[in-house]
Amino acid sequence: MSQFLQIMLSGLATGSIYALVAVGFTLIWQAAETVNFAQGEFVMLPAFFVLIGLNVLGYPLWISLLFGLVLSIVVLGVMFKKLVVEPILPSGGISLIIATIALGTFLKESVKEFYGAEAEPFPPMFPTDPINVFGAVISLQDILNLVISLGVVVLLTLFLNRTRTGRCMQATAQSPEVAEILGVNVKRMILYAFLINAALAALASFLITPVYLAKFSNGETLGLIAFIAAIVGGFNQIRGALAGGLLIGVLDNLTATYVTAEYRAALPLILLIVIILLRPQGLFGTSEGRSV
Amino acid sequence: MLELCDIHGGYGKITILNGLSFKIPKASITTMIGPNGAGKSTVFKAIFGLLNIESGHILLDGRDVTGLPPRQMIANGVTYVPQGRNIVPKLSVYHNLELGGITVADQAKVRERIETVMNQFPMLREFRNRRAIELSGGQQKQLEIARSLLLDPQLILVDEPSIGLSPNLVKDVFATLQTLRDQGVTVLMVEQNAKTALAISDYGLVLELGQARMQDEATRLLADPRVGQLFLGGHVDDATSPGR
Repeated sequence: MSQFLQIMLSGLATGSIYALVAVGFTLIWQAAETVNFAQGEFVMLPAFFVLIGLNVLGYPLWISLLFGLVLSIVVLGVMFKKLVVEPILPSGGISLIIATIALGTFLKESVKEFYGAEAEPFPPMFPTDPINVFGAVISLQDILNLVISLGVVVLLTLFLNRTRTGRCMQATAQSPEVAEILGVNVKRMILYAFLINAALAALASFLITPVYLAKFSNGETLGLIAFIAAIVGGFNQIRGALAGGLLIGVLDNLTATYVTAEYRAALPLILLIVIILLRPQGLFGTSEGRSV
Repeated sequence: MLELCDIHGGYGKITILNGLSFKIPKASITTMIGPNGAGKSTVFKAIFGLLNIESGHILLDGRDVTGLPPRQMIANGVTYVPQGRNIVPKLSVYHNLELGGITVADQAKVRERIETVMNQFPMLREFRNRRAIELSGGQQKQLEIARSLLLDPQLILVDEPSIGLSPNLVKDVFATLQTLRDQGVTVLMVEQNAKTALAISDYGLVLELGQARMQDEATRLLADPRVGQLFLGGHVDDATSPGR
């Protein structure tokens, strides 16, 4: 029983970080109706910003994290929107999707070229001491990762539902033409979505890199799993992205422990196929009509 | 109140408005009629800053408002109720209304106005916590009109308010527009149901090929045989307008 609880908690901790990244997919989809296939690299890169703060600029850890967060918001939020999304979006969603694939490769190869191909240790934000939860031994880091990730998603949901700015973002996502005629600053709301996505990606990076180490190729797996999590939960719903992330985190751990560790990487793909066949809009998603 | 002077404009390289000029007086209802493709809805987009105007001027109470974006047009007392359904589907009725006052910094004033508007449209108070998409088509249109009233507008642009509504609801919507006119609001409307719309209007405007071909009192337009011909799918042969 304690082993099961341990696996569940650990899976939820990892899954909650997937959820942060998956929520980013949802936000970008709602803001620009596109899929950012560089999202995995958006999670890989902030860790290297922090390492530059620590190792190159000599800042202490918390200043380096702040430096990494601000730089992520500027590069992965503002610059991504201004230099990639805005010029390419008028050419169509497919063009933008291809551009994000290219951007992902560019970011990955740039880190490899200018920082190095070796995995680097990344300092954890919290103590990694094991603690006992009803007989299950789990690291404090995992517990705090889970609490922080879920807390951030809850705060984001409250922001979107309980504030005027949040409702303007929802109006922009649901009916941009209506939002515009009502006087909502649609461009600003879209920018907010990109800034929030960048901040979520940075937070996910700071939480998961101490476990995976900082490596240029980290985004490949993370991006894929988060993308699948967003689809499984429902691409157009934040609660769906949250559920999808948590589900994959837990199922991954359960499969590795009770079934086989060799095929654990295949699990998200199997889940994706099952969901697409049985419930294409995802567990919590709603169907979206498209006219052609 | 509103004056359009020799407006040329359209979508990309396609010009829809070809030297459109007309005036509408304050506290009146003016209905624009004309065949499909005459540019009726495009006129609204031009006034509301949603269309590229190549040349010409739009004057609101004598001030040049040509090409101002929607936010500034709202600040100038103009609201726009486009054709079709224009709600934010997953937000509640109350929050849809709140969006109508999004440009106002004083939220206490917005809440006060929402209460006033809900008194005018009791159905909205009853369903205030429902998601807007759960309302019927007629209720959604009432929500849109109520939302457009939130800022005490001086000029309302209403595009096809009767589409999808039952005859009783159409009567209600038109009665609302008449009440607004009596309160000093200016209404410019496009309506396929031209005879009914002209019957409650003060003035009528016939558009054809992006130009105003006739403008007169609504009662006189209704009696004009050339307008009757237009309703039956013809066009106005005589370009001279009786004028006002």
